[in-house]
Amino acid sequence: MSAASTVDSAGAAGARPAPARRVHAKAARRAKTTVGTGVALIAAAYVVAPIYWLVVASSKSTGQLFNTSTFLPPSHLSWGENFRLLFTTDGGYFGYWIANSAGYALVTATLATAVSTLCGYALAKYRFRGRRLIFGLVVGSLLVPTTALVVPLFLLEHDTGLINSYQGVILPLLVYPFGVYFMWLFAADAVPDSLLDAARVDGARELPTFWKVARPALMPGMVTLFLLSFIGTWNNYFLPLVLLGDTTRFPLTVGLSAWASDLNLAGAGQPLYPEVILGSLVSVLPMLVLFPFLQKYIARGLTFGAIVGE
Amino acid sequence: MTATLDRAASGLRAPGRPGRTASRGGAGLAMSAPFLVLYLCFFLAPFAYSIVLSLRSPQTSAFVGLFNYHSVVSNGQFWSAVVRMAYFGVIQVTVMIVLAVVLALFLDSPYCWGKKFFALAYFFPYAVPGVIAAVMWGFLLQPDLDNALKVPHLLGLAAGPLNPLGYRFALYAMMLIVTWEWTGYNMTILLTSLTSVSREVLESGRMDGASELKIAWRIKLPLIRRTVAFIAIISIIGTLQLFNEPMILNDIASIGSSYSPNQIIYNTAFSFGNEQLAAAQSIILAAITVLATSAFYGIVRQRRRRGGQPVRTAVTRGAAR
Repeated sequence: MSAASTVDSAGAAGARPAPARRVHAKAARRAKTTVGTGVALIAAAYVVAPIYWLVVASSKSTGQLFNTSTFLPPSHLSWGENFRLLFTTDGGYFGYWIANSAGYALVTATLATAVSTLCGYALAKYRFRGRRLIFGLVVGSLLVPTTALVVPLFLLEHDTGLINSYQGVILPLLVYPFGVYFMWLFAADAVPDSLLDAARVDGARELPTFWKVARPALMPGMVTLFLLSFIGTWNNYFLPLVLLGDTTRFPLTVGLSAWASDLNLAGAGQPLYPEVILGSLVSVLPMLVLFPFLQKYIARGLTFGAIVGE
Repeated sequence: MTATLDRAASGLRAPGRPGRTASRGGAGLAMSAPFLVLYLCFFLAPFAYSIVLSLRSPQTSAFVGLFNYHSVVSNGQFWSAVVRMAYFGVIQVTVMIVLAVVLALFLDSPYCWGKKFFALAYFFPYAVPGVIAAVMWGFLLQPDLDNALKVPHLLGLAAGPLNPLGYRFALYAMMLIVTWEWTGYNMTILLTSLTSVSREVLESGRMDGASELKIAWRIKLPLIRRTVAFIAIISIIGTLQLFNEPMILNDIASIGSSYSPNQIIYNTAFSFGNEQLAAAQSIILAAITVLATSAFYGIVRQRRRRGGQPVRTAVTRGAAR
């Protein structure tokens, strides 16, 4: 991309001037690009530094953490020992936390995508009583910070016995007004009415029409929604922190923060530095690997509304 | 889960007005039903419940009117947390948005190699949970763990190792962390906006002999103004809702348990068991958030009116921070 646009604009600029000036312009451009890339590298260093540190630090024992150079790997790598610690400390809770985080994120993302897609599609393609009301609800709830609902959710779930259960965490996360709004816009664009009418003329009923005709067209939007919901759930902390009491049901964020909060407690025994650091790396790793492939889908979702407003 | 939008909901386009498919209303309602049921149980119900709760006495659960609200309004700790976040926001949001705009314009200019790599690297922190970001930086900013912080002391420039998480600097350390987390996210939104700027407009600018800097400043920046205003709004909301970072930094470095309003709400409800007061605090915080974003939106809109440009709205996801 960079090469192409450089060539493009060089071509445009070089259409007129004499050869000597062209060479000069080329050199100036190269100098500017070098400086520019240098600046971009500095910004990238700010982003990468803590992640690089996390990788290096995860290979150190507690002693090495405090005695070796911060940004250099130790002479003796303790990854094996740290992994053993990570999965055995506190009776091996960490294994539960990984499984829980994956479970919460997968189930939430799948169901939230399904629920939002159906509703968004219905709003885009049907006119029915209450349609305006739903529009108002969706848009209105975009304004309410969801953290305002955490305390009452806790009490309601306490009274209904949902508290401290997997469903208790997942169900509130299925309410995804942005997802409905996104799918509404997406469906209006991606599924032409003529396509639906053609299917109906052939005698197909509404739900099969959705499944066979609309769903394939909506798929790219659904992928985006799934990823946004997945990342949002994987990263969520406030809601599970409040709703869960049982350590074996914690997601990674809540579990690791519990370990981190023991670091400064006097008399809490050996501080869990290696566990917290390696555990943090493990919870970032899946995304670190997958992100390059998913980036464009995620970016599309983030940008969708902003572009609509342009 | 959280999503945000700027104030004027009225400006939203209701896309794709249903046409001839209108008569099949039953199917439409049925398809919306799952969302509606969930919305009723897990959004509307808790919302209504928090209002009811906030009007009850913490001791006897009897109706006490605005007593809890009065307690919040006269609570210095709550307001100092709000003011702290306002101060935090003014500095951090400004720095972050300037950075995001500069980086986005930069990656959209011809003067950089490896743009794809940089775009990816900058965006990556979005995928890192706020808790993990706070843990990483929390350790990196501790003099015990980070040798670099001892350097000024060893050179005789400071009385002791630097401690960015100490009482005086913790707020700025948190700015560093939040900027790390969200600059790339905002830059990504801007960059996508920039790619929709018409190539013809840019080419005609180049033909006229405008420098790239001039093109960026005079052509591109005005075209993405709305997006800039929009990311500013979601950033303001995010700042007022800050929770993960102060919680974790308090775990790691004891910066204080009433650092941000959400942290106070959490402690009021779960350390002191005063859910009624916490409900009132939540509602007041939500109201402050809506007010702050409306005020900001109002300012932006007035400027635009003067500039003679039509106002439209921008919506996107503001992730729960």
